[in-house]
Order: sequence, then structure tokens, then C-alpha cells
Amino acid sequence: MQNRPTGETAVQRRCIVNAVFASLIAGLAVAPAAWAAGTAAGTQIDNTAVVNFDLGGVNLSQSSNTVSVIVEERIDVVVTLQSPPVPVIPGNVNRSLLFTVTNTGNGSELFNLAIDSIIAGDDFDPSPAIPAIYFDTDSSGDFNAGDVAYTPGINEPLLLADESINVLLVNDIPGGLPNGDTGRSELTATSVTGSGIPGLTFPNQGDGNVDAVIGATGGLATGTGEYIVADVQVSVIKSVVVADPFGGTEPVPGSILTYSVTVEVSSPGTATNSVFTDPIPTNTTYVVASIRLNAIGLSDAIDADAGELDISGIPSVVVRLGNLTQADGIQTVRFQVTID
Amino acid sequence: MKILLNAVIVIAVTLGAFASSAQEQGHLNVKTVVSMEEVTIDDNGDRHTQLVDATTVVPGDEVVYTVTFSNVSDVPAENVVITNPLAAEMTYVVGSAFGPGSDIVFSVDGGKSFAAPEKLFVTKSGIEHPASADDYTHIRWVMNNEIVAGAQGMAQFRARLK
Repeated sequence: MQNRPTGETAVQRRCIVNAVFASLIAGLAVAPAAWAAGTAAGTQIDNTAVVNFDLGGVNLSQSSNTVSVIVEERIDVVVTLQSPPVPVIPGNVNRSLLFTVTNTGNGSELFNLAIDSIIAGDDFDPSPAIPAIYFDTDSSGDFNAGDVAYTPGINEPLLLADESINVLLVNDIPGGLPNGDTGRSELTATSVTGSGIPGLTFPNQGDGNVDAVIGATGGLATGTGEYIVADVQVSVIKSVVVADPFGGTEPVPGSILTYSVTVEVSSPGTATNSVFTDPIPTNTTYVVASIRLNAIGLSDAIDADAGELDISGIPSVVVRLGNLTQADGIQTVRFQVTID
Repeated sequence: MKILLNAVIVIAVTLGAFASSAQEQGHLNVKTVVSMEEVTIDDNGDRHTQLVDATTVVPGDEVVYTVTFSNVSDVPAENVVITNPLAAEMTYVVGSAFGPGSDIVFSVDGGKSFAAPEKLFVTKSGIEHPASADDYTHIRWVMNNEIVAGAQGMAQFRARLK
């Protein structure tokens, strides 16, 4: 029987939901980007025109010379953030953000990776773990023991044209942060061949020794992820009073059980959209019209008031407590059942 | 007798010249050039656009193919048709085909048939669609008039590298 309002677990659930979401993203095959990288570097493209004509009654054909162009390599890269804002608790360690690095050029490239967690415009600086950059080797979308660390100069990822790789930034969260504070961490991927102003040429450094030319992205790309402090403590205390049919307190068939549950936010912050849910225990029957919130009766039917008996599944008492803060004080939910 | 022999020899040489012209330029010289547009700004701030030879390209670049043909024989060339196959990596730039005194048609079936753009259709997954520039396999210029001896003509189009 669940007797805790889901205000607290709503936060944790959000964490779980986000992790699942991230896993779903990471679990997808690392598919080519929506944009095609273009004709492969080194490709030779020929063009020959043919003229057919009649001369003196004879049908003749004449080809032109063949002109050729060689496709150079264009260097382009894109970094895409995959994680929605990650809820964290101050003091958490090894919290990860997921990014996808995609080679949007037309030749294969090595990419240098870098992390920057000192970003202007947020409330706190996440603290990069050591090491802080990992490949999502196990495709979980999260930082796990199976993920391989990136070491600059040792294992730069090699991406073919259109190929992607998933990268994790791992940070620790400082302590003593208020609820709602955000901290940003940034991943930058830079082509090892070079970066700079579009059009800048690196002679013979493309695939097959053609020239490599910086494309519109400048040969580097940045993605910024965000952590958000979501640490709301809620205390829940449940008690029961038994009244048997004989004026006593024995839990026998026919006895009325009166449950009282007190819900109180005991930390800074807001438990948003708190919902208290409690399934009716087996071997008991709900007492009609017995739900109270802070001594005010709530109808059993689903209507405009804050609660009902939800019979869509296992019969459960549902009371919506709204956005609770410490200032709201103790919320008391009461309902009754009889022992079958 | 001597004169007759000379005449025969002259004719034989001329016929030989006809036969070899199919392999080497002799009656119609045809030349293709591939260029890119280069924009320069002069000291007055005026923009000048010229075509310069293209040798290297990157995906997204637009190139200009120009075919010039000149009749270096001494008789008119009739029913002159210029056909240019499109490389698979190149996409024709719609509206860019240009050739004075010609009708311009396109093929979507590898050069078997040619028609104006609005008459071209392709079938994909069993459904017929109007053809787009991506579907073109060849461009053809059909000259309306003969090219007299000593005269020239030209055909030009642009394509974008995929």
C-alpha cells in the first residue's frame, strides 16, 4: 500500500522518467543525421557532351573533351544535446548529460572533445568529474561502469561522413544549493584536421589527400546541457484508529478503520502537483463519503474538488494536494474502511 | 589519264577525311568547360561576377558547364543536337539551361527519351509523380537552325554538387 504522497516521489519519478527518456534516445541506433554529408571527398566527377549532326547528308557524332572536378573534403560537425534538464540533489556525484556528436562533413574526421562547466548565465558551476568525458559505450544514455573514458590525444573518436557517437559529460553537484538552481555544462567537439573561418583550406589533409575545407560550422560545435536542483523533502506519517462494533478497538470483521495521513514539506522548495494515493487494503471495504482533507469532506465522485475514490483500477483514495511548500504546514488526509 | 588519277586520289583523300572525323575533331569542334562563379568587389565597391575554371568543389557548390561548338567545315551542319549526361552526384539547377536558338529538353530514363520538364514523369513505389530536377539524367539542346560553315553555337547549364 502506497501511503506517501507522490509529491516527493514525483521528483524522483521525474528523475526516473528522464533517465528512461535518455535511455530511449541512446538506445536508438546511432542513425545518420537528417542532413546528408554530401558526395564523398576524393570523388572525381566527369562531364562530356556529345553533339550529333548531319554534314553533307552524313550523320555524324562528335564528343567534346571530358572535364573533371575533384570533390574536396568539407569539414563540418554538429553537437546535439539529448538530455532534458537533469534533476539533481546537492552533493550528488557523477551526474551525466548525454550528447550526440555528428560528422556532417563529407569525409572522415577525428574529433577532439572538451568540457566546460564554468558557463555564464546559470546559478552554479557543476564540478567536472575526473575524467569528465565518456563515450556512452553501453548505450544506456547514462554514465555507467561500462562507459569508456575519453582521454585527449589518446582516443579521439573517428567519425565517417554522417556518422555519430554518443558522449557523456560527468559532473558532481556542489552542496548547499537551493531548490531550482541550475548549472550548465558544455561539450565542444573540434575537428582535429582544423577549425576556423569557413572556406579555410588545409591542403592535402582531406580523405585521399584532397584538400580539406572548413564548412559553415567552422569545424567545431558546442552543446550545452543543464542540471537543475530539485530537492524537496516531504514527511509523511500514517496512523490508524480502530473502532470495533462493540465499542472497543479490536480489529475484527465489521470494525471501522480510520486512517489519518499527515503530509508536510520539511525542506525549502516546492513539491509541485503533489498527489496522495492510497489503495484500499484488501479484505476491507471503503466507507462511502469518508475522505477528508484538512477536515473538509471530499465527494467520492471525480468532480471539481480535490479528491475522490478512484475505481478505475484497484480502488484507491486520491487527494490532490497541489503545490506544497513548508509554509503550507501539515496537510491531513483521512478516510475510513471496514474490515470485511 | 593523269588528271583522272589525281581526281580519284583527291576524292579518296576527302572520303578518308570524312571517315576519320568521327574520331577526331574536323567538322565540328566541340569544347566543354566547367567553371564556377567568382564574385569580386572592386575599389569602388562594385561587384563583378566572372566565371573561372573549376577544378575542385565541395558538396553544395554550384558549377557551370559550357559547351561551345563551331563548324570548321565548309558546309552547313544540320539537325545539330547537343546531349549532356548529368553526373549522378550533380543536381541540375532548374531553369539554368541556356542555348541561343535551341529547344531544351530533358530525359529521366537514361537518355532513351526526351521531353519538356512539364511532360516528364517518374514512377516511385508504383505512383507516378511529375519529375523533378533530381530525376534528370540528361539535358539536350536541339538547335532550331543549321549551323553554317564557320558559325558557332553554345549550350550551358548549372549543376549543384550533392
